Parts: sequence; structure tokens; C-alpha cells
Amino acid sequence: MRKLHLIFGLTVLAAGQLRSQSDSTGTEDDFSMYNDVDFVDEGAKRYCSPKIEGLSPAQLIYIGYDVQGPYTMRAESLTDRAGKELSGADEMEIAATHGLRLGCNIPVISTTSLVWQMGFNYWQTNFEGMEQALPVGGRNKVIDQHRNAFRTMGLNTTVFKPLNDKQFLLFQGSSDLNGDYTLSKIMPLRYLKYSGAVIWGKRPTEKKQWGVGLARTYRVGELNYIPVFMYNWTDAANKWGTEILFPARAAVRRTINPRNMVFAGFELQGQSYRLYKDETLRPEDLEIRRGEIRLRMEYQFSVKDFLWVSAQAGYRINYRYHSDRLDGGKETLRAFGLVSDAPYAMESTLTNPFYVSISVNLVSP
Amino acid sequence: MKKISLIALFSVLLLSMTAFVSQNTDGDRLLGVWEPSNGRARVKVEKIGDKYFGRIVWLKEPVEPATGENKTDKNNPDASLRNVPLKGYRNLKDFVYKGGDIWDEGTIYDPLNGNTYSCTIKMTDKNTLDIRGYIGVSALGRTDIWKRLEIKPKKATKK
Repeated sequence: MRKLHLIFGLTVLAAGQLRSQSDSTGTEDDFSMYNDVDFVDEGAKRYCSPKIEGLSPAQLIYIGYDVQGPYTMRAESLTDRAGKELSGADEMEIAATHGLRLGCNIPVISTTSLVWQMGFNYWQTNFEGMEQALPVGGRNKVIDQHRNAFRTMGLNTTVFKPLNDKQFLLFQGSSDLNGDYTLSKIMPLRYLKYSGAVIWGKRPTEKKQWGVGLARTYRVGELNYIPVFMYNWTDAANKWGTEILFPARAAVRRTINPRNMVFAGFELQGQSYRLYKDETLRPEDLEIRRGEIRLRMEYQFSVKDFLWVSAQAGYRINYRYHSDRLDGGKETLRAFGLVSDAPYAMESTLTNPFYVSISVNLVSP
Repeated sequence: MKKISLIALFSVLLLSMTAFVSQNTDGDRLLGVWEPSNGRARVKVEKIGDKYFGRIVWLKEPVEPATGENKTDKNNPDASLRNVPLKGYRNLKDFVYKGGDIWDEGTIYDPLNGNTYSCTIKMTDKNTLDIRGYIGVSALGRTDIWKRLEIKPKKATKK
């Protein structure tokens, strides 16, 4: 009988042990016991996150379309290398500029101690010209190239390296092929444009990060080395914030809720488009230095889960649309006239249209 | 004879229970209290049936600054759940032990934006977890490191 009791006792013990591991649904209202804890081994080394609370979600994949309204393109005369006039001054009414914009930023490594993303982007810009009489002497050769679509295609990488729980380094680099090439006849890779930025920053709170750094950029249309300043901030109530990477872009954010955000701000856009398609013009090594400021309102919202839409509308202000001749392929570094005041091969002006842009985005966790 | 049969029955029952318990012991290494790398919350992992769940048991900032009230799940896409307190909220759900150091098929909820992500947990050592939340495929995700905590015994109060 004693034996039976022993077996019964062991069975009850085993059943009790089993129950304690499988059933823990009981309500536990005394959370105070979790106030005073220790790490079992050494504490996790804390690293600051690349994001702050309330920031708009990063885009993993995006596909969109950009449309600018009508504007006027005026060009001065253009001379060849020998100083002989190639084309006279000209003016063209552009009915619309529009094109596809797509890209992706895929995390290669995404851990607390290192985030490394690789991305691809493709932007196309088509110019719809209005029917108008040819000027005497024919169309200006540079303006004439706007019958072709301009394309930007490139690879980019972003590395976020937290140094500790407050400081970080951010590196962005990209290589882009910009020009009037076609997809069936892509320009040689020697025309790649390289840009990048290095930023050192701090993230003093969950709702603020700032940084300073240096960028090599074509955003204002031509090669430049400029200081950059980052400032992302969200207020205590998560209603207002800023998303600033000056001078590339800056916006004030109004968060309706984490799935609906409105922005007001600006973005600098620019590329250096090589005129490649026209074989008679190709030896001139001409590049259009496009730089523009976009004053805009933007609405970002989640359609479902991680699928977001961004709709923006604004006013495109032309900053520069001159053409440069790259003798021997060398860039002209003017640095706002501080380094060089070399004249452009051809100067152009654009009037300023309104624009709209819409994209569908898969956003990051 | 009857006594012997009863003993045999209990013995079989005991053996099968012991086998079941040991089979699940490996998976139960996940049980305990863990802290994400940002140190903003503590999550207690529990087992319900054969699956593992985690709930928030501590918040670094438990009070909503704007209202002074305890934080609730205000960003939940389901409006009816927005008043549910964050403390006690199940943010890890439905993890199945897959053998080795992997718990999979679960989800992780981010109260900051109301999103639920697919999630895989990998135990890199007995006190460290790699928590990978992702969208669709694991490549589109982010890994966080969680560390195991132990609760300090409460000091006896002197009378």
C-alpha cells in the first residue's frame, strides 16, 4: 500500500510540474516584481536605433509617378569646343514632364549593432513638347535632346553604425548613370556619378536625433561638397515632428495617427544628365546640370498593414539648368563660385510649374 | 493482482508524462523575463498549450505624457482595443518550438505603430535571443537582441 502511495505521489508531482509549464494564462496584476531585476549574465550592450519614435516609415520598395505641369525652357546659344556656334538661342514650351520612379532598399544586415542596406533606383523623365514653329537656324541642339527621355539608374548603400546607446555614424553612397540613354543602349559605366555622405550623430532621447556631416552631392545639379545637418524630432504627444536632412530635404510632420501623416517642406533634387544619345553631340561631352527645389505638401498613409501611399503636390522652382562641357571627362567643381567661376557651355532657364507625385510603398519594420 | 495492475498503470502513466515533459524542456528554455535592446520594456514569455507567448510586464515610461494616464494600446488598428493597457499586453504570440534554438511561426506586435510582424526567435545562448521581425520574407526584416532577466528576491521587511 505504501508503494502505491509513493507511485501516486510521484504521478501527482509530475502532473503538477507539467501543468506549471503549460498553463500560465492566469492573470498577473502585480507587475511591481518586474521593477527590480538583473541581467542573468552581462547586460545587453545598448545601441541607439536608426529610428526615433514617430518618424515616418522607411521605404523598402516604392513605385511611383511624377508629373510636372507646363513650363518654358529657354536656352542661350551653344558653341562647340572650337568656339564655333553649334546652336542659337531657343525657347521651347514644355507641356508636361513626367515619369516613372521606382526603387528598393533591402536590408542586407539589420541588427541592433549594424544596419546595412543595398538599394536600386530607376527614375525616368519624359518631356512632352508643345507643337511650335522652329526658330530660324533650327532647334537648339540641347533643347532638341528633350525629345528623348532622361533616365537615372543606380545602386545605393546605407550603413548605420551605432557607436553606443547615444551616438551613431551614418554612411550613404550611391552610383548613378544619368543621361538620355535608352534601356536598350545604356551609357558606358565610365559616366557613373558617385555621391555619398558621412554623418556623425547623437540620439539623446527616443524622440530626437541629430547629426552633422559632409556630403559629395549632385543634388544642386553639379558636383559639390557641402556640409549636411540632420535633425529628426517628435514632440511628447507624438503629434508634431521634423524630418530634416539639410540641405537635401526638410519637412515638418503632423501625425494624425501612426498610419496617417502630413508633411510640409521642401526637397532639393538634381542630377547631371549626360547628353549621350545624339552621336553628333556626344563628342562635346555635355551634361545638363539640373537642380531644382520642390516646395511641397505630402500625405503618407497606410492602405493596409505595410503598404503605404505617398501623395505629394507642390511647386517646382528651377535652381539651375545649365549645360557643362566636361573636358576629358573631368568634373568642374565650382562650389558656389568659391573654387572656380568657370563659365557654362550653355545657360538655360526654366519657368516654374506645379507638380504632383504619387507612389505606393512597402515600408520597413 | 488488481494491485499490480494498478501499479503498472501508474508506472506507464508516469513514464509517458516524464517523456512528454523532457520533450518539451528544450522549448521551455524560452520561458522567463526578457529585455529588448532598447531597454524600454520587459517581456515575460509564457507557455499556453504547446505555444509560447510573451507579454509586456514592465515599461520604462508607463505613463502617457500628454494625459498622465497609464499607457494603452492607442495605436492599435482595431479601435476597440485602443483602451487595453500596454502593461500586460501580449506582444509575442503563437511561437512554436521548432527544435534546436529556434521558435517560429509567431508574431510580434509593435505598440509604437500598431503593426504586427511575422517573427522568428533564435536563442544564441541561454540568456540571449535574436528576435527577427519581418514582412513576408525574413530578408525584409530587422533583428533585435533580447537579454534574459532575473527577478531580484524581495527583501524581507523588518517588523
